[in-house]
Amino acid sequence: MNARRGDRLWQRVVAAGLLVLATASGVAQAREVNDVYIEGDKVCTRCHDENEYKPVLSIAQTRHGTAADGRAPTCVSCHGDSETHINKPKDVEKRPEPTINFGRKSTTPIAERNQVCASCHQGGKFIHWQGSQHSAADVECGGCHTMHTAHDKVRDKATQPEVCMNCHKEKRGEINRPNHHPLREGKMACSDCHASHGSAGEKLMQRDTINDTCYTCHMEKRGPTVRTHQPVMENCAICHNPHGSVNDNLLRQRPPLLCQQCHEPTSHRGGIPGFGDSRGSFNSTGGMGITQGRACLNCHSNIHGTNNPVDASNERTFRR
Amino acid sequence: MKRLFVLASTIAMTLGSGGAHAVDAAAADALVRKSKCLTCHHQTKEKDGPAFAETAKKYRDKPEAMEKLTKHVTVPSKVKVDGAEEDHETLRTDDPAAVKNVVEWILSL
Repeated sequence: MNARRGDRLWQRVVAAGLLVLATASGVAQAREVNDVYIEGDKVCTRCHDENEYKPVLSIAQTRHGTAADGRAPTCVSCHGDSETHINKPKDVEKRPEPTINFGRKSTTPIAERNQVCASCHQGGKFIHWQGSQHSAADVECGGCHTMHTAHDKVRDKATQPEVCMNCHKEKRGEINRPNHHPLREGKMACSDCHASHGSAGEKLMQRDTINDTCYTCHMEKRGPTVRTHQPVMENCAICHNPHGSVNDNLLRQRPPLLCQQCHEPTSHRGGIPGFGDSRGSFNSTGGMGITQGRACLNCHSNIHGTNNPVDASNERTFRR
Repeated sequence: MKRLFVLASTIAMTLGSGGAHAVDAAAADALVRKSKCLTCHHQTKEKDGPAFAETAKKYRDKPEAMEKLTKHVTVPSKVKVDGAEEDHETLRTDDPAAVKNVVEWILSL
């Protein structure tokens, strides 16, 4: 009987000891952490939560963090396994960066950073990225886009020009000229004309040519017309500066100076408007300059092309 | 040496001022975020490090609180996280007043 009691007492002592050990080891066990927004994110979100100096968790407010979308990446999809970042090696003083890191102080080559994005974002509007101006200039996706924010400035029409003009500073000056496309007013964005991810046309135009791009809005200039003005057919930017100008209608120079860059001064320079020369001609080359007081467009009002049948005898005049 | 200077200056300021001024919570919060303290700490929740509120509770009534916490946030040290030894980094400032403000802010939580 006493031996049995002794056994029970012994068993209780062992059980109590095990309980103490289990409790003690429980203190040393890793803190239990859970995924926050997408499966497998706890390895990162255990530290990088909503209190970060640079918001990280706000990726959950973006398409990249939409857990219901099966294509949505996890942290390691973009940043790599980052083993040394998670478990800092003892022989280094500073915690190593994630395997693939982004931003101005990034240690990852730009091509490698862009490849992360290109692993999903390929084809479609990205089809011309390789070899495009931005690609050739080693522009990284993160140079324009901000991932960990609900509001990516470059994807918002109102704020996009600010992002583009961080590099294209001369365009900032141009859109602040008196005549400009309404970027400043937020009615247009750079991407209305330019395909920043690459284009088959020049100047990263959305369409294959500058003219085709302009015609998407200014379709009345497209024609076809019976009488055509050749520069109009070639390139709108011969006469217009699309980003802004101090001249009316975004013209590169004020008429007649603009027109006379092509049109020789022998035809219209002479003659004060309304005053003929000794022979009564308004087109005299010996006069004072018919065009000095009046812009060419006062008379040649259909400069983009005309269907006027009346001018059959002088079909280049583009008058009404 | 610089950190020791910050530590000494902060303690001197604390003793000299008598501790009678308002805490700039916004500035303290900004510095704490900038210094990445919130990677391991949280104001109220437990993370890998103790919550600031817990620290305040532990040290608030202790006379050595200012000195001890100032040293902790200005002089590099080692801490245990899940049984592994980790570096405890310091506040990213050389301004003793800013350090003092952070410590007082933590103690006020």
